[in-house]
Amino acid sequence: MIVAGIDGGSRTIKVVLLDTAGNTVLASGVCDQGVRQEALAVELLDRLLAGIGRPQGDVARIVATGYARHRIGIAQRAITEITCHAVGVRRQVPGAMTILEMGGQDSKLIRLDGDGLVRDFSMNDRCAAGTGRFLEVVAARLEVRLQDLGPLAEGSRSPANISSTCVVFAESEIIGLLAGGVCREDIVAGVQRSMAQRIAAMAAGNPEEPIVFTGGVALVTGMKAALEAALGKPLTPAPDPLMTGALGAAFLAGRMKD
Amino acid sequence: MTSPPARIPFEQWDRRYADLLAQGLHEPPYGGPLRRHLQAGDDRLAQLCYDNSPAALRLWNFLLTEGDRLRQARASGDLIVGTMKDLGTVPVMVYAMDHAVAFYPDGAWWTPCMMHASTCDLALAAAAGLDESFCPVRAMAGAFLSGRQFPRPDLLVCSAGATCDDFSAIAARLETLGYPIFWWEICARRHPEAAQGKPSEGEEAVALPGGGTAPRSQVQFVAGELERVRAQLESAAGQTLDDAVLARGIQAANEIRRRLAEICRLAFGSKICPLPALEMLIAQMLAIHFCSDRAQTLEVLTELLVEIRRRIAAGQGVLPPDAVRIYWVNPVADLRAMNLLEDCGGRLCGNDLMFAHATDEIPEDVPPLEALARCALADPMVGPADDRAARICREARALHAQAVIVSRIAGASHCAFEGGVISRRVGADLALPVLEIEVPSVSDALAPSLRTRIEALIETARRGAERSRT
Repeated sequence: MIVAGIDGGSRTIKVVLLDTAGNTVLASGVCDQGVRQEALAVELLDRLLAGIGRPQGDVARIVATGYARHRIGIAQRAITEITCHAVGVRRQVPGAMTILEMGGQDSKLIRLDGDGLVRDFSMNDRCAAGTGRFLEVVAARLEVRLQDLGPLAEGSRSPANISSTCVVFAESEIIGLLAGGVCREDIVAGVQRSMAQRIAAMAAGNPEEPIVFTGGVALVTGMKAALEAALGKPLTPAPDPLMTGALGAAFLAGRMKD
Repeated sequence: MTSPPARIPFEQWDRRYADLLAQGLHEPPYGGPLRRHLQAGDDRLAQLCYDNSPAALRLWNFLLTEGDRLRQARASGDLIVGTMKDLGTVPVMVYAMDHAVAFYPDGAWWTPCMMHASTCDLALAAAAGLDESFCPVRAMAGAFLSGRQFPRPDLLVCSAGATCDDFSAIAARLETLGYPIFWWEICARRHPEAAQGKPSEGEEAVALPGGGTAPRSQVQFVAGELERVRAQLESAAGQTLDDAVLARGIQAANEIRRRLAEICRLAFGSKICPLPALEMLIAQMLAIHFCSDRAQTLEVLTELLVEIRRRIAAGQGVLPPDAVRIYWVNPVADLRAMNLLEDCGGRLCGNDLMFAHATDEIPEDVPPLEALARCALADPMVGPADDRAARICREARALHAQAVIVSRIAGASHCAFEGGVISRRVGADLALPVLEIEVPSVSDALAPSLRTRIEALIETARRGAERSRT
């Protein structure tokens, strides 16, 4: 039986097709989010199905997650990304006890129990600081591509101090740093450290290990190290951090009863 | 009139009202269609979901016509007393007198008309220096300045001392705007001190409503303060407010509190959910000050109780039977949050709205002012946050809560501190999932985020329950 998980995130849509017989991922893909949220999700789903030579009718069940989950009408069920990330990460890293997910619009710290169920969670979504959006703003201001931020930060010798906890103010601060002659490498490294410290504050204390780092921001080089420094604990990167939500949604679709 | 119980959106109430009229709906003088309140400016009403019963319609109409009653009181020459900060003590004294009504100006913050920030009295409050960095109670200042919500009271009585900083600042600002206030002091409740090794020499502990205790000296102090309030009320009303009159007032207040307690017992305790969270919240709010008509408060609650009993007997609830039982802490500034809880699959199974002392019965076996002093000292906001957390844990356990939501009030100084204390205690004592959220006066922009958090909490509780079953 084929099931699908659709993660309608704030920046991208992710789809995973799963064969429940062997819990095998048949296909997965990503496209940019847009105004036509459901249409974009369906187009991506159809593209993936075409790639494996199956019609949409072969998909027995679909679970949608992410902030657009209630807008994806083809899904039989909408489940929050918190639950889906928990399932997705536990499938990839069976012993995970804490999940640190940093997405485009929010970041989450999810604590699991021994059975992999969510024990509790914290979210930062009132402010873009500590989310992928912060990095986008920084990239635009420094006139570099998002994917180049990580390599740039690796060249830092003295990370700048970014004291603002608001992206708007932080952007002004960056302008001031540039005007003061601080190099881009140090600014990016400073931003990463600032974001990591914010996330560490959300962790409030002592997150239980293993801590798995997932979400789109996990793809940015340097963030893992910055977070490890801020938390004082090692992080395990999720094998495919962009897809853990959709993967969890697909597994939950597989568990659903008709 | 026996349609199945349901939650219906605002736009369906016109049709429902017409159907009820056709079926012979009998309404009190303040009755009528809900839409008239929308047309009068309560535009946030259009965004809420309502219980479809005539009893709920009466509840809403009663709530939303308080301004009319106060203006009638003014026209009749009745004494109008604004009782501020204190929840549920001074109103009992006021209503013990003839031709006197108390209302709750700081209660304006949670009524629907206040929520529309762009046009409502919040903007006036901001212009008076009380911006959104203050608790939504600041709406009170705007309401005084606009005069739209209620007539200027003859007397303003406000407690000071163990009250939240925001409120004190807002009330003090109000006084500087030309609204004189009669202040009385409520002290910070503490536990009686025990003399080490000599129990007989420790402080005498006095039992408070709700299960706590306070030292005798504190009860005497507050009773003394209430004595000053009594004298002020007698002077303003030109009436004697002696112990016999007060005792009758306490009995009448207790009748309402007992009625409300029965509503809560049935609504929270029964297998089906007989009344939505939103209408429960409003019914409980009435207990604070009787919405400017004590006799009608009793009738409104009685009709609700009859409806609840009817639904329970018929086995008809307003929510799916598998709704997750949520204990809710603190009232919300945007009433949509109560709808959202149910939209996400939750069911209110109990709550602590910061005024448990206004719903606990007032002792009738001690002198009236001492009884009211005990009641005032039982206020969860004047004692240690851990006392409040302990009571929340007791209730949540007794009501079989599956999760707890601590709803912080944006800008309220006490909530930021208490939320963490309550969350930690619930987590430690009950091992239940706890969610802390903040609900601003207008939560539209945060609605997706609030939904995600509440849904995730409910998913967590549900999966935990499924695991327990297997």
